[in-house]
Amino acid sequence: MSNLWFLYLFFSALLIFIGIYCLLTMRNLIKLFIAIEIISKGVSLALVATGAVQHTILLAQSLVITYIVVEVSLVATALALIINIYKKNKSLDVRLLSKLKG
Amino acid sequence: MIIQIILLVGLVIFAGLAILAKDLLKAALSLAVASLFLGIIFFRLSAPYAGVFEISVVAGLITVLFALTISLTRKNDQVQEARLVKIAFPLFFILFLIIDGLVMKSLLLKVPALPAGPEAGTFGQVLWKQRTFDLIAQIGVILAGVLAVLALFRKKEEDKDE
Repeated sequence: MSNLWFLYLFFSALLIFIGIYCLLTMRNLIKLFIAIEIISKGVSLALVATGAVQHTILLAQSLVITYIVVEVSLVATALALIINIYKKNKSLDVRLLSKLKG
Repeated sequence: MIIQIILLVGLVIFAGLAILAKDLLKAALSLAVASLFLGIIFFRLSAPYAGVFEISVVAGLITVLFALTISLTRKNDQVQEARLVKIAFPLFFILFLIIDGLVMKSLLLKVPALPAGPEAGTFGQVLWKQRTFDLIAQIGVILAGVLAVLALFRKKEEDKDE
């Protein structure tokens, strides 16, 4: 079973890598948010896999459900922010946000 | 075991497609398919409640929210990504794959198993009795999210009044 655990951790690390690569290199705000979603998938996979291996799957499930609720709240807020940014800047380019106007 | 590996590979492939796809709507749909794979993996790991939440909320609701945002911001959404990003991705991915494999292989026997006894009770008992504080925090987070969204869109209405 521990071999299986490392397999899940291996793929979880891959997902987190894909997300971080996208966060570091992409410029589209929605793409950056998709990257955050991918990272969160990696984390929840690691949580459930560890719960399954350690025979604490009920606790892992309740943690993942809490995590998903937080994720949805985050997504709703961030997408509303993205729409507001788009209405102001007429672009989704993240580089435009660095030009602060006081 | 083989089915699990196929599901995990599918999850990683669709996650990769989500960041490499040029069209944002295709990226959001790839993300939804990745969530679907993750939900099936949860079911197979005997975590059905987490699987149901993953498929209904993440693959369903969040994809709808993404599609809505993409349709609202579609007019001038041509953001020029750096050319090197997509070319360098497979290179970095393979490099990380090798590093990840080596690290996991070397860790395989070194990480001691954490002491954990078998769980008693049902999922409902664990969620409602052991993790009650989590539920209160969830209510707080949902309220904070709703208030944040309301605040973000109220500002626009005030602008119109002026």
